[in-house]
Amino acid sequence: MKPEVDFVLRSMMVSLLTEVAPAVGDGYVRSDVEVIAGLMAAAAEEYDRAAHVRVEENEAMRRIFRSAAPSVLDAGLRSRLEAAAAERDTSLHVSDLNAANDRLRALLIELHALVETRDEDWARRANRAIWDGLRESVNRRAISFWPL
Amino acid sequence: MSDLGARFAAYLQHRWPQASSVEVETLERIHGGASRETYRVTVRTIEGGRESEQRLILRRDPPSSLIETDRATEYRAYEAFYGTRVPVPRPLFLETDPRWLDRPFFVMEQVVDAVSDGRLLAQTPYVDHVETIGEQKWRILGEIARSDPASLATRLEAPALESCWRRELDYWERVIDEDELTPQPIARAAIRWLRRSPPPPPRRLSVVHGDYRTGNFLFDAEGRIRAILDWEMCHLGDAVEDLAWALDPLWSWPDRERPGKLIPREQALAIWQQASGIEIDARALGWWEIFASVKGLAIWISSGREYADGRNRDLIMVLASWFPTAVHDRVLVERLAPTGGVDDEA
Repeated sequence: MKPEVDFVLRSMMVSLLTEVAPAVGDGYVRSDVEVIAGLMAAAAEEYDRAAHVRVEENEAMRRIFRSAAPSVLDAGLRSRLEAAAAERDTSLHVSDLNAANDRLRALLIELHALVETRDEDWARRANRAIWDGLRESVNRRAISFWPL
Repeated sequence: MSDLGARFAAYLQHRWPQASSVEVETLERIHGGASRETYRVTVRTIEGGRESEQRLILRRDPPSSLIETDRATEYRAYEAFYGTRVPVPRPLFLETDPRWLDRPFFVMEQVVDAVSDGRLLAQTPYVDHVETIGEQKWRILGEIARSDPASLATRLEAPALESCWRRELDYWERVIDEDELTPQPIARAAIRWLRRSPPPPPRRLSVVHGDYRTGNFLFDAEGRIRAILDWEMCHLGDAVEDLAWALDPLWSWPDRERPGKLIPREQALAIWQQASGIEIDARALGWWEIFASVKGLAIWISSGREYADGRNRDLIMVLASWFPTAVHDRVLVERLAPTGGVDDEA
C-alpha cells in the first residue's frame, strides 16, 4: 500500500503552512507558500471526486435533454439534444469527461435560453430541472476549504 | 538593493532634483495586488544637508493583469479625493515613460501603521473595533456616492442615467465572452435575467469606486479607516452598483449576515442611505446584487484565462479562479433559481 495522492497533497499542505511558511523570511514569498497550500487542499478534494462529479453532471444534463427534446419545435436543436442525450461517457479520463461536459453545458445554455421565456408546461418543467441541475452541480463542486 | 530599487531611486532623483541624494533603503512587494505590482518602499533623501525618510507605495503595471484597467483613472481618483472626507493616500507621481521601470507606474505616500487584510478583523486589536470600522466603511461609501462626479468627469465617460446598467453589463459580458475557458450556464442565465429585468435608472450620476470592499481599505489598531484603495475600476454610474458590490456575500463568506465581516446588512444600508442622501430602491439593489456576482465571475474567469494562457503566472490568479467562482456560482443559483421559472417572470 502507498499513500493516496489526496492524502499526500493534504500532508504537504500542512507542512507548508506549519513548517515552510513560518521559516520564509520574505513576506511576499511566504504569502505565495500559503496560497500554494490552499490550492493543494482544493486539488486534494478535486482529485478524489473529479471523475465522479463529471460523470454525474454529464448524465444529469443528458436526462434533461432526453426529457425536453420531444417538445422542442426547432428541428436542429431537437436533433442535437437527442444526439447528446444518447451519448455515454466511455472514458473516465478527466480531460475526456471535461470535453463532453463542455459540449453538454453549451447545449444546456441554448436549451435554457429557449425554455425560460416560454409559457408552456414542458418548458416550465425543463427550466426547473435545469436550475435544479445547476444547484446540484454547485453542490458537487463546492470547495470545503476556504482560504480567503 | 535590487535593480528595481536602484532604478526607482534614479527616477525619484529625477523628480526631486533639489535632493542631493536619493536612496531606496527597502523595497518589498505586497502580496495580492493582481491588477498592479505593488511595492512598499522606504526612501532616504538628503536635501540641503538634511537627511529624511519617506515611505512610499509604488504601483507598477504588470505584464498582464487580472483586471484590464487604466492606471491614470486610478491615479486621478486619488487626486480627486485626496484631502476630502473620503480618505485616500496622497498621490505623488504618475509616470508612463517606460524608460524608468519598463512599464507605467504611479507613486503615492504610504499610509503607515494600517492594514487591509479582512482576516485580521477577527483578531486583537481589530476585533474590538469591528463596529466602528463597519460604520465608517458604509459612511465613506455613502460619501463617495454623494461626491461631485465633476471632479472626475473630464477623465471618465458620463453615461446617460438610463444606460448605466447596460454599459456595465455589456462590458462584463464581453469579458466573459472573450475569456471563458468553459461554457458558463449560471453566468449566462444570470446575464439573460439581468437583460430581461433592467433596474430603474438612478436619479443622478455618481462616482462609482468599482471595487469597494473589505480588503480594499486600510484600517488601524484604533479602528480608524485610514485610506480607501484600489480605484482602478472607478467610473461614473449608479451609486447602487458600489453598494451592491460591497454587500456581496463573497467578502464575508460564508457569513451572510455581516457584509464584509463588519456590521449587519440593515445597519449598513441605513448608514449608506444617510451618508449618500440616496433612497435605496429595493428593485435596483436586487438587480445590482445579481450583477455584482456576474461581474465577480467575469473577473475570476478572466484571471483563470490569464493564468492558463501563461500571460500572468501569479498564483493569486489561480486562487481567484477557483475559490470565488465556486461562491459566485452558488450565490447566483440561490438568488435566481426560485424566481428563474416563467411563473415568476411577471
